Amino acid sequence: MLKSLIAASLSGALLFTSLQANAQWQDTLDKAKGQTVYFNAWGGADNVNDYIRWSAKRIKEKYDVTLKQVKLTDTADAVNRVLAEKAAGKNTQGSIDLIWLNGENFRAMKENKLLYGPFSTQLPNYKKYINEQARESLTHDFGTPVDAMEAPWGMAQVIFMYDTATLKTPPKSIPELLTYAQQHPGRITYPAPPQFLGSTFLKQALYELTTDKSALTKPVSHVDFQAVTAPLWAYLDKLNKVAWRHGKVFPTDATQMIRLLDDQEIDVALSFDISSASVAIQQGNLPDSVRSYVFTKGTIGNTHFLAIPYNSSAKAGAEVVANFMLSPEAQIQKQKPTVWGDLSVLSYAKLSARQQQQFDAIPRGIATLNISELGKTLPEPDTSWVKALENEWLKRYAQ
Amino acid sequence: MLFNRLRITSWLLALLLTIPVLVGLVGTLLPAFHYFPPLGELHFSLASWRALWQNDEFYSSLKLTLITGIIAPVVALWIALSLLAWGYQRAFFQKIEKLLAPILAIPHAAIAIGLLFLLSPSGWLMRLFSPWLTGFDRPPNWITVQDPYGFSLIFALVMKEMPYLLFIMLASLHAIDARKTLEVCQTLGYKRLTIWRKVLIPQLYPIIRMPIFIVIAFSLTVVDLAVVIGPNTPSTLAVTLFHWFNDPELSKRFVASAGAIALMLVIGVVMLGWELAHCALTRLTKAERSNGKRTGFTDYLLRMGVLFGLVTLFSALVSLVILPIWSLTRRWRFPDALPSSWTFDNIKRAYPILIELSSNTLIIAFSATLIACLMSALMLEIKRLTKHSENHPFDWLIYVPILLPQIGFLFGLHILLIQINLNGTLSAIIALHLMYVLPYVYLSLRGPYLAYNEDYLVQANRLTHRPWRNYFVIKLAMLKPALLTAFAIGFSVSIAQYLPTLIAGEGRYSTLTTEAVTQAASGDRKQVGSMALLQAFFPVFVFWLAHVLPPRWTRWRLALYLRLRKCYKQLPIHGQ
Repeated sequence: MLKSLIAASLSGALLFTSLQANAQWQDTLDKAKGQTVYFNAWGGADNVNDYIRWSAKRIKEKYDVTLKQVKLTDTADAVNRVLAEKAAGKNTQGSIDLIWLNGENFRAMKENKLLYGPFSTQLPNYKKYINEQARESLTHDFGTPVDAMEAPWGMAQVIFMYDTATLKTPPKSIPELLTYAQQHPGRITYPAPPQFLGSTFLKQALYELTTDKSALTKPVSHVDFQAVTAPLWAYLDKLNKVAWRHGKVFPTDATQMIRLLDDQEIDVALSFDISSASVAIQQGNLPDSVRSYVFTKGTIGNTHFLAIPYNSSAKAGAEVVANFMLSPEAQIQKQKPTVWGDLSVLSYAKLSARQQQQFDAIPRGIATLNISELGKTLPEPDTSWVKALENEWLKRYAQ
Repeated sequence: MLFNRLRITSWLLALLLTIPVLVGLVGTLLPAFHYFPPLGELHFSLASWRALWQNDEFYSSLKLTLITGIIAPVVALWIALSLLAWGYQRAFFQKIEKLLAPILAIPHAAIAIGLLFLLSPSGWLMRLFSPWLTGFDRPPNWITVQDPYGFSLIFALVMKEMPYLLFIMLASLHAIDARKTLEVCQTLGYKRLTIWRKVLIPQLYPIIRMPIFIVIAFSLTVVDLAVVIGPNTPSTLAVTLFHWFNDPELSKRFVASAGAIALMLVIGVVMLGWELAHCALTRLTKAERSNGKRTGFTDYLLRMGVLFGLVTLFSALVSLVILPIWSLTRRWRFPDALPSSWTFDNIKRAYPILIELSSNTLIIAFSATLIACLMSALMLEIKRLTKHSENHPFDWLIYVPILLPQIGFLFGLHILLIQINLNGTLSAIIALHLMYVLPYVYLSLRGPYLAYNEDYLVQANRLTHRPWRNYFVIKLAMLKPALLTAFAIGFSVSIAQYLPTLIAGEGRYSTLTTEAVTQAASGDRKQVGSMALLQAFFPVFVFWLAHVLPPRWTRWRLALYLRLRKCYKQLPIHGQ
């Protein structure tokens, strides 16, 4: 009797809170109607821009919210603008409503109170489809607690690309990479840190080489940086000597690496976008004999997010957009290799049978790995490691 | 009365310009001294300077910047003078003149990417000769571009700066009456190159001093070109500062601001050194120049410059040709000499938004450049009337925007725009573009304008005293080549602006450049090729007009006039 009473009142309370949440969301939807959301996003990839245009069309149809992409060359351009607006005292009616970011840019904006929130965990699709336990990077963006200040959008993982026509067995670990480079001088390289892919390569190498992996989860100031990273620098001293252009110059980003792979200057390229090989083949930027692979011990992975600046003039609209981006419809479309090929952040188990079928039916690009092939995702080390590694690399190899 | 009014106008204009420049400058200065309220820094300190002095990357970048930033303008000037001396009034040279406009009109980054593709170990040069001659099935592991010494960067800088200097020189030549001097000296038995070296170049130098300074500043501060073809271990100081300003670690901008101020001081020191070197050189060569000998050993210097000049121009031409090829490419792999499959897709992508992009671009570029031309003409006229030789603050203030890194400078301006509630409008974009266009327009116009022989105007006013009409119909009409050149240069500068357009327009106005630059952010050669075509189309057209119009203007004007008169006479009322 008592039990059922408690159960009843509990379910009643739950129903009430969910009703309240529904009402709140309805309120957001009403407010968002007619708003224009200026979405500041890196505009360097056509497939991503096309996907955003598709989303804008769907969002307009479903919610009467206008989504406009402001194409950037660098996310820092948006961060700088929010900062300028803050300096000018423009604390409402800011010019940016939504930013695509992750990692260090997120930390900088969060720490300097340039973000609106918490909001993401209250989004209906977040509550419905996200399993926070599935991936650490959903709650810790490069080690910075997300605290609902940004909504997940997609997943990224380091992948390697090679041309099967010229290379039969690609090097599948950091030590193998060095052996390969020594046998084939000038055919291996990595992007120059502090470009984020370059920094990621350092983290990957450190993870495989260091004897003290547990140190990576602690802040740099709490460990003996020199001791932990000594194997990394010894490794790089050797690698750079036999690297592309004798380690005197390094590629600037993933696109340049893909170009160098296509030009046959190098044998292995890396990228943070698991679909990049397929997309490059489709665009005619790589031969169709190129395939992706990951290291046997796993590679570093993370999540990219959408955040709302604290002074956005269309916060409700921005929330509606972030929520739509988390819908199975949007995530399925995004994962199609011919559209973008970006991995879904939704929990497969939380999807309905029909949605699961739709996900299963997504064709894969010829050079894209599936979830099981992607293997183990290595976590990002504590956020303080990025700067420390970058500075040390600059000091050793760029002066 | 008029005189006073002009003087007041000039000060008002200077003031109007001073405010934004000062705000931009202060926007860099304050954080350099660790004052930056948005990050909660409210106390002045020298911490950023200390951090800068202790940063080894600063010194190594600075060294590279000094090497490239001094050698490039010296070489560019040497080559430009050589080509001019060698080719002036020759038929072949006129073909070269036509080549200058497209080189000037193509965005820096695009031409650098073209050059990179030409020279890199997997580049076009290598592809043309592989594997049949070189035996390479795969590109060799050579360092031909992005070399740590910055040679390829210097080459790219010269490739871009030499045409600018040559263009300016050609536009200022009639101010020194080169043709007559040549004739007189040649009858006296001097050799062509000797005449240039001994007589013409010393006269030309003061007129083109300012453009040379612009070139020096450009070499020391350029980012987009240095990112592509410069080394990155370390990069030049400007690129390093750019990375610091854009660093996700927002506190890095303090050191970046201090570095920006340091770079500005470096520019000042280099310019001062340049002038001192010039004085010393003038003094040292004085005896030789007036020794009466009809030829001289140093003529060979000019002759050698011609050779280098032709190589540079040829590389520029090839780098230009590469871009349209890439824009039509689908697959092009080493060692194929030409693409293996072609497509229109790269260009077609831009179709749907082309009209909107073009109209925004044209409105902004035309307004900003026109205002810049008017302001320059006004300031120069006042300068002439008031006989203020160098002291007007206007003369050095307009430099500031192009000397400081854009990010810090525009940050301050953005705050100003928000304060006066002008942000996110077309007029704000035009105003910011004006800041970057004006120095180029003013300095292109300055030499020819001040060198104008005022006697023509005086004579015209004696015949019919209509000062305003005569100013336009006589003076400006005679300055047409210089005016149009200045306009074309300003126009192409405006077209190339990315960050000012984004910041002032808050991303709400897309132009060909904002679209193209973001598309090319990936560095994909096919996209860069199409982008360069899109971006260069209008500037090339305007440069072409600036070249074609002046000599034909009067003929066409008269022809039009006659035709209109004929039509008018044939009207029924006059027919009877």
